[in-house]
Amino acid sequence: MVKKAFAFTLILGMGLLFYQLYRQRSTSTDLNKTARYYVENGPKETGSANVVTSVVVTYRGLDTLGEVTILFVAASIIGFFLKNQRNRKLEGAPGETSELLHTGSVFLVPLIFLLGVYVFVNGHLSPGGGFQGGAIIASGTVLLFLADPSIGAGRGVIHVLESFSGMLYVGLAVAGLFLAGGFLDNRIMPLGHFGTLLSAGAIPVIYSLIGLKVGAELSSILYALKDAKE
Amino acid sequence: MLLALLAILIVVMLAAAVLALEHGKLLIGVIAAGLVSLIASVIYVILAAPDVAMTEAAIGSGLSTIMFLYVISRLKGDTHG
Amino acid sequence: MHILHMAGAITLLLGSIFLVLGALGVVRMPDSYNRIQAGTKATTLGTMLTMAGLGMLHPGWLPKLAILIFFIIITNPISSHVLAKVMHDLKIPVRAGAKNTPREEE
Repeated sequence: MVKKAFAFTLILGMGLLFYQLYRQRSTSTDLNKTARYYVENGPKETGSANVVTSVVVTYRGLDTLGEVTILFVAASIIGFFLKNQRNRKLEGAPGETSELLHTGSVFLVPLIFLLGVYVFVNGHLSPGGGFQGGAIIASGTVLLFLADPSIGAGRGVIHVLESFSGMLYVGLAVAGLFLAGGFLDNRIMPLGHFGTLLSAGAIPVIYSLIGLKVGAELSSILYALKDAKE
Repeated sequence: MLLALLAILIVVMLAAAVLALEHGKLLIGVIAAGLVSLIASVIYVILAAPDVAMTEAAIGSGLSTIMFLYVISRLKGDTHG
Repeated sequence: MHILHMAGAITLLLGSIFLVLGALGVVRMPDSYNRIQAGTKATTLGTMLTMAGLGMLHPGWLPKLAILIFFIIITNPISSHVLAKVMHDLKIPVRAGAKNTPREEE
């Protein structure tokens, strides 16, 4: 009881603190210096129609590399801790899935994968990008597992895809050091015509690699969870 | 109008967050946490941040909920035998 | 143009009525099997009507809305079927005193 009261007063105090901050805050409609630089020069320098993408992939691309690395480490740790229990094979058919679900997934899974690919290939033109597309692909993987729990194919493909796209991502980033202005500079490829699919230099390529990597990592987490039966 | 909508969404979101913390059943807690993410993504759309909203909807309310459910089902299998 | 506008508004209203009824059904229905009916069938029709109404109000959105309706027609019955199948597999009891209960499999 005392603990709860203590927590409650703590939350109340935090709320008061934040309320003071909120009251003093004046809504400014103009951007700060960094944001103004990105908005004014982003489309010109990177050729990307989506300013968010130009920031995520080029200006702050190093942070994105770090995020992908964190995801990779998380997937590896989950895989490592669940690996010891993988030896046991699934005994029998774990609750036969219905034919309706199977047929529906045969129709839907390729479309979900296609949507994911569309989202990350068009990351420099429309909202979305590598992380979103990767998550959509992983949700397609979930449907695949639900329709056929005994599925085992594709695990090797996922690992190869993950390593390959990660290596290529870093390789492209290093290529920016030699061929253009710096690490993760997207001008190693021609900028192309603004607003078309093949524009913005290396951004679509890098974002597609991020998308593939994120999708493969999340799928491998799901694989590890699925295989860790009991 | 917009502020009123935001206020309603935030109140529902807070209620879902409290439910996620306080409800004894894990399953209901997980679903309430997914609801928090879903409302957060709607708020992001209203605040003109579609990129963040897509991430939140796909990862926050979609994938992480599914992963939690996976883990809960595994835990159930363990406790039963 | 005006008639299309009216028709769109009425369809939209009908759709939202079905959605509200579906939500009410989820709260009020006596057992899980009935709740599934309310939660999926009513919302399928409600969403379809809502989107059709929107399509009448904004004819430019019609292709996208048609694709959305198509996917709802496919996915909603599958999810309701899976839910019902899982409940049947878990042997969740039907409401006591219900008529026409599903036969037990031999």
